[in-house]
Amino acid sequence: MAVKLDPLPQIYFEDVSVGDELPGFSYTLDWTEMVKQVSGSQDFYAVHHDPPFAQSGGHRTIFYNTGWTRAQLYRLLADFAGAEGWVRRLHFEMRRMNMPDDTITVSGAVVAKDQTDEGNAVEIELSIANDREGVATPAQGTVLLPSRE
Amino acid sequence: MPRVATAGYDIDAIREQYIGRKGARKDGLYPVEHDPIRRHEHMCYGRNPLFIDPEYGRNSQYGDNIAPGVMADYFAGDGTWPSWNGGPEIPAPENEDLDVPVIGDRAINLSTTWEFLKPIRIGDRLWLQPSIADVYVKPIRLDPNAIWIIDETHFYNQDDELVAISRNTSLRHRAPEEVEADPDPLGLQAA
Repeated sequence: MAVKLDPLPQIYFEDVSVGDELPGFSYTLDWTEMVKQVSGSQDFYAVHHDPPFAQSGGHRTIFYNTGWTRAQLYRLLADFAGAEGWVRRLHFEMRRMNMPDDTITVSGAVVAKDQTDEGNAVEIELSIANDREGVATPAQGTVLLPSRE
Repeated sequence: MPRVATAGYDIDAIREQYIGRKGARKDGLYPVEHDPIRRHEHMCYGRNPLFIDPEYGRNSQYGDNIAPGVMADYFAGDGTWPSWNGGPEIPAPENEDLDVPVIGDRAINLSTTWEFLKPIRIGDRLWLQPSIADVYVKPIRLDPNAIWIIDETHFYNQDDELVAISRNTSLRHRAPEEVEADPDPLGLQAA
């Protein structure tokens, strides 16, 4: 049976304004998500899946790993870029931890746009926030978008 | 395992020895494949057809599916099995030349900057060139003598085209009982 996914909507540089919000997403980190985190990242360091081990290091419990973190952020940017755009840059800081039972929200907004040597660059402030501590992972991204011209 | 030694630990000497050091080229064990990308997208509820719909990929400007750029390190690596055996230990360092001596065996990643320069296509063979950009001591809540390490990795494809660069800041710290037994073995807090 073939995969059949809807094409991503394509946004063009001219259509973007500073302040525009990107379509975000949200879900709760239950234990199935913990397993998906390990599967998708292949990061088997026990601090990300073994609560007693995490506690032995001074943490309250496990926390979600870097591979999971960047996947959420990259997804937001790549979905915005569409098939003709390009995610050029991603910077993120893991200031707080995303932990089991947190409901996380991944969101972003356009903060600048400029025609550069690299192309039509759109600067985006994005983050992963959770309902326990607020913004856990602030981030910045650059997406190059096609032009209608 | 990282080299963990408190006695005689000299951060200045370590900085001089390691900052700017390049590790050996490392080739990915397998080509870029569909299924790791599918698992990656499952992890973030990703439904981007460029990554996981083969028909869509064939008809795209790339002629095939591409991988999310943040998977460059996955495809330039040799996987978790059998290169290390899981369990509670920190994963074995990928390159002993860049195995910066530390005084704790617990690790936390803090921030990363990625630059994505070329598409990573299904079938590509990636390799990486790691280096150490900085090493320093900076206290954290868990450990006043945490060792911070900034590494920079360049990722190339089979045509030696630079496809991505990552710059990662991480730290190594000691377990609470080790800190309690000797909070400041490097003598930095008294300085």
